[in-house]
Amino acid sequence: MPTDVLDTVVSAETPEGILLKLRPAGLSARFYALGLDWAIRLMIMYVAAMAAAFMAGIGIAFLFILFFALEWFYPVAFELTASGATPGKRVFGLKVVMDNGLPVTPAASLTRNLLRAADFLPFGYGFAIVSMLLRRDFKRLGDIAAATIVVYEPPAASRIDLGSIAPVVPVRTLAPQDQAAVVALAARAPRLTADRLDELAALAATVSGDAGHSGPEVTRRVLGVAQWALGRRS
Amino acid sequence: MTPLRFEQTYQDEWTELEASLGRVLGRKAGWSAPRSSVSGVRVAALYRRACENLALAQARCYPAYMVDRLERLTSDGHQVIYQRRIFGIARLKAIVAVDFPSAVRTHASYVAVAAAVFVLPAVVIGLLVYSRPELILSVVSSDTAASFEEMYSTSATSIGRTRTAATDWMMFGFYIRNNVSVAFQCFAGGLFAGLGTLFFLAYNGAVSGAVAGYLTERGLSPTFYSFIATHSAFELTAIVLSGTAGLRIGHALVAPGRLTRLQSLVLAARDSAVLLYGVTAMLLVAAAVEAFWSSAAWLPKAAKYASAVVCWTAVLGYFAFQGRRAR
Repeated sequence: MPTDVLDTVVSAETPEGILLKLRPAGLSARFYALGLDWAIRLMIMYVAAMAAAFMAGIGIAFLFILFFALEWFYPVAFELTASGATPGKRVFGLKVVMDNGLPVTPAASLTRNLLRAADFLPFGYGFAIVSMLLRRDFKRLGDIAAATIVVYEPPAASRIDLGSIAPVVPVRTLAPQDQAAVVALAARAPRLTADRLDELAALAATVSGDAGHSGPEVTRRVLGVAQWALGRRS
Repeated sequence: MTPLRFEQTYQDEWTELEASLGRVLGRKAGWSAPRSSVSGVRVAALYRRACENLALAQARCYPAYMVDRLERLTSDGHQVIYQRRIFGIARLKAIVAVDFPSAVRTHASYVAVAAAVFVLPAVVIGLLVYSRPELILSVVSSDTAASFEEMYSTSATSIGRTRTAATDWMMFGFYIRNNVSVAFQCFAGGLFAGLGTLFFLAYNGAVSGAVAGYLTERGLSPTFYSFIATHSAFELTAIVLSGTAGLRIGHALVAPGRLTRLQSLVLAARDSAVLLYGVTAMLLVAAAVEAFWSSAAWLPKAAKYASAVVCWTAVLGYFAFQGRRAR
């Protein structure tokens, strides 16, 4: 399929024989998420430092232990929650899963986060950036070793709302792919301008016997064919 | 069957499955309804049906929203049904009692290499600096050398401390962070064909050896060795074991055998994860000991050396004997 060439979707096969689609998240989304996570961490450190200032001595020791815990285990702790994402990742709709689509395991989470030390080299996440740019699934070194992948939690596709358009019986037999194309056009209709919708509908006008014509009336009839393909008969 | 008919036929099942999975995953309405109200048998049956429906919907080119809903449903179901519950006390107990020490024994040859790469530079550089103290300056800066000397000077009120309390605690926190970072770097360096691990091990061994040699030559050995003796049982072994995990990964990349390098790496990372659990725990123990035992100046040195003997024996004995199968 031509979509394979353009799309970055990774498939994971389940024991039931269906393919789960994983949509790997790229450099920019993950960069923003990392930045947000660091901002959150800095805020925690700032508040803790203010509290520690009142305790002197032992407070400063605990402060350093907190810094160390935040530095290394902040991502691990959040990735092992039900959401599988740090707060920064959650804001940008990302989460960490195993290669097979399952929730990330404690071992994998620890591995991928400790290997940040390697990803960070030579400076500023240099190896991580190179690795992510070279790979179709945008894994950094830690992801490769831990067999994890950072994916998008995609927003739900909207339902098709054709309102009161009357079904139109197609003038020729439509293959499943043709029906799907017409239905997909109907799904996109609310998000297109009227002119663009007319243009696109004109391309599909052969299904309603209006080849060579265009205009709102043709569009209405093409969408009527979509109604028919969806299963509405009257 | 038309898409709408298909949806009408099965959507009650989809809604039911969505509600059950939502409850298990703790989403939205999930807080009000207890998880126990979800029947595993029913969820499994509905999940298999949803998989079937998804395959049909894809093959018949049904509308995107329907395929999307089924994909979401099966993805959630897959997560709930196949996730491995490996948290909890029982798992922790298994790691401490069996998995960690036996993983160390399994990787005995890597442990030997890591220990050698760490200890040999430490001994060689240590002896060199002991015989010619000015060499310390080629390993650390003069300021660092001076601050080390001050920290362990016999006149200080407590060991490992300089005059002001604030800077002293800062140094303590700094060393904990530093040691943990060193250990984790030794592991992460394994990704560069093990060279990073070898470098970090040798480098940190050399620095430790140089400092020890320098302080010994200065006549500060009583304070210095009584300070480090106990927590080094956990700290040095943790660094060596971290290096072990790094070498395991590096070796897997260099000599993957009959696997691809990628498969070999993933396998090695999974193998060494249990070592990392252990290393993390040992570093925490080391930090606690360093904070509350090693730095306490009022304790007699004999007590510290005695505790050091106990700890070293316990740690080495733990790795040698713990978790072997009973005969």
